[in-house]
Amino acid sequence: MDFSLTTRSEGDVVIIETTGYLNNVGGEQIAQTCYKEIEGGKKLFLLNLENSKVVNSIGVSILIEIIEKLQDVDGKLGYYNLAPIVEKTFNIMGLTKYSSVFASESEALEGMS
Amino acid sequence: MEGNGTDQLEYYLSSLNELGEVLIDADRVESVGTGILRLTLGTIMASKGAIFLYNKNKDVVLLSGRGFELENPLTPTLDEIKALKQYSHSHLIFSKNNKGLSGSIEKHLSQKRAKIILPLFHKETFLGVLCVGQKFMDQEYSEVDTKVLEIVASHLTKALFNYQLIEEVEAKKTEINLKLLELETLFDISVAISSVLDVDELCDDVLWRSVGILNASKGVVLLSSGESPILNTAANFNWDKDIPLLSKKHEVFKDIDQDKKGCIFSENEKNSIQKKLKEDNLIISPITAKDETLGYMLLCNKETRKGIEPFSSLDLDLLTALSNQAAVAMENARLFKDITKEKQFNESILGSIATGVITLDPLGEVDSINSAGLKILKKERDEIIGNHYMYLFEKDEDLIEIITTSEIENETKSELNIPLNTVSEDTIINVSISPRLDPTGNKQGSVLAIEDISDVSKVKNTFKRYVSKQVVDELLGDDGKLNLGGEQREVTILFTDIRGFTSMSEKMEPERVVTTLNEYFSDMIDIVFKHNGTLDKIIGDELMVLYGAPLSGDNDTQRAVETAVEMQEKIKDLNKERKQRKEPPILVGAGINKGLVVSGNIGSRDLMDYTVIGDTVNVASRLCAAAGPGEIMVSKSVYQTIKESFSSKKISPIKVKGKEKKVPVFLVTHKKSK
Repeated sequence: MDFSLTTRSEGDVVIIETTGYLNNVGGEQIAQTCYKEIEGGKKLFLLNLENSKVVNSIGVSILIEIIEKLQDVDGKLGYYNLAPIVEKTFNIMGLTKYSSVFASESEALEGMS
Repeated sequence: MEGNGTDQLEYYLSSLNELGEVLIDADRVESVGTGILRLTLGTIMASKGAIFLYNKNKDVVLLSGRGFELENPLTPTLDEIKALKQYSHSHLIFSKNNKGLSGSIEKHLSQKRAKIILPLFHKETFLGVLCVGQKFMDQEYSEVDTKVLEIVASHLTKALFNYQLIEEVEAKKTEINLKLLELETLFDISVAISSVLDVDELCDDVLWRSVGILNASKGVVLLSSGESPILNTAANFNWDKDIPLLSKKHEVFKDIDQDKKGCIFSENEKNSIQKKLKEDNLIISPITAKDETLGYMLLCNKETRKGIEPFSSLDLDLLTALSNQAAVAMENARLFKDITKEKQFNESILGSIATGVITLDPLGEVDSINSAGLKILKKERDEIIGNHYMYLFEKDEDLIEIITTSEIENETKSELNIPLNTVSEDTIINVSISPRLDPTGNKQGSVLAIEDISDVSKVKNTFKRYVSKQVVDELLGDDGKLNLGGEQREVTILFTDIRGFTSMSEKMEPERVVTTLNEYFSDMIDIVFKHNGTLDKIIGDELMVLYGAPLSGDNDTQRAVETAVEMQEKIKDLNKERKQRKEPPILVGAGINKGLVVSGNIGSRDLMDYTVIGDTVNVASRLCAAAGPGEIMVSKSVYQTIKESFSSKKISPIKVKGKEKKVPVFLVTHKKSK
């Protein structure tokens, strides 16, 4: 399944919904989307990973880059609808120390504000 | 800087103090670079300068700079670094043909018009270069300036080395995290072994995890299917739906089977499987259980940030470990499927039999019961499963005792005709309890087989009113012996009658009449059953007993006469008791005849009895009527059968109603002693 994403906004929060493998290709697409939004002044990003059940370490390293970029602008990255295997990977790779995992979109929007 | 020497010294000291703060406050190496460069240039009054960093890729890159922009990283040779080493902890003034400078570094610094260069070395490790351009207004750098630069360089070296160490620690931490992720993945798959029992689901799970952990771009699990050489796609991640048809006879798979290990293909080699799959970078691992190759896991294109790279031998080790786990899981799933199939087969057998089968676990709790068992116990499955047999059968102490004995003695125990009060007082069962053994002979609980014989028992109890228990058992044990339809057969018929009972009863209270008859019949019927007679009728004070119907015996006549003799003996005893109670004696006459009768169920549709009819019956009745009190009168046919066993005497023939000629008769007195 080829990677694809859609973007929408909920107030100040940019929600990126992905489908497919979060690897180099997928990670780069997310990064480019985020950087473009950051240039436009956005600082809060949420990733809905419901349809991305597999992530590799390259995808994780790109998410780390995004987090670092957001730190420079006092921004935040959060995720929701994570498959257990993805959440475990994020935990082990230390992503969850610098970004937040939420159970649902409503919880995530509340947590990001 | 025009102040006096003290002011200048204070300024330098203040700058060095600020240097410490920059080093402490900065959280990233870039911040350190920017802070130190700004401080340095301000302190020594220079407008241009730079800090270059020698990174792990052996490139020199710009960390921070003013007027020293670098388009592409510099790539110093070892000799260039060696030359710079001479000036570690010191400085060099840029000039053409300086022995400390050469190659790309010299070229760049020359272009940017560097004035003082300070190589940054921690022991033998080259970390980078600090350089400054011309001093403000082309002044000459003082000795103090160069001393300050050396102090800054010394602190910068330590900071850069620390950051390098931190970076290495972070890299190691990432490496450890990746290893941890690998271990977690292996652990997760081992957990899946005991939780996921569907082969397709397992293949998907293992493939997803393998693709993710090995940074592959896609993957597929191919499984063997029976004798067919074609490999079936059991799971597919990110691959085109149309995976080329692959045969396990392909040389790659044959080599893997032979070597019992997987293989890696990179773009440097061109195997036919690469051509077939149109992929250069492949890694293939066999999925092997008990020396049998169940299939293969095939991944392709190992991703990095820079693009695709070949898989490594460490990747193959990891994929092999994942495949081995997958093989165990698949084997478990297959065994589970087999066991489930067998269990369903057993359950369908157990479900179809009429005997209730209840299994108890080693703790004595019910872990299964078949449909017949539920029907017998008249309970729902939920009420029974998990219940201890002592609670389930708490109203049936006998049954509990049998189960307990079987458990203690580890032997099969059976019991027939026991009540099952758990269901009702009328429920009668046959039960058998056996130890339940596993294939190694270890006891795993017990099996109870329960047969509901309540209906049989009812028939038996009803029948027992007419025939002895022995006859009932014989009849129920062999349906072929029972013929209740009309048939002609030879029987011996015994009639008994109380003499003068009508006149006697007229002088007695009605209750007493009933008590007397019950006492008399109870004793007489016991004797009838003792000799396996069939109680045909009780008419008033008269008994009609058959021998030879519904079952024929070898000595029917003998038993009939024995019955009559024992009856008369019993009546003597009974009369002794009656005498003590000051009651009149009971005097009984008996008549016995033998001959052909018609037997069967005779009567209306609503009221039908098994009986015999015919002249033989009438003659027996007449003999009884002719017999005096205490006498046993038998016909000639009876006499001829029993004369060797019983003492008897011939008396005058008697006239019998319906017979023209008188009938010869005999009186039996007692049984001859052997």
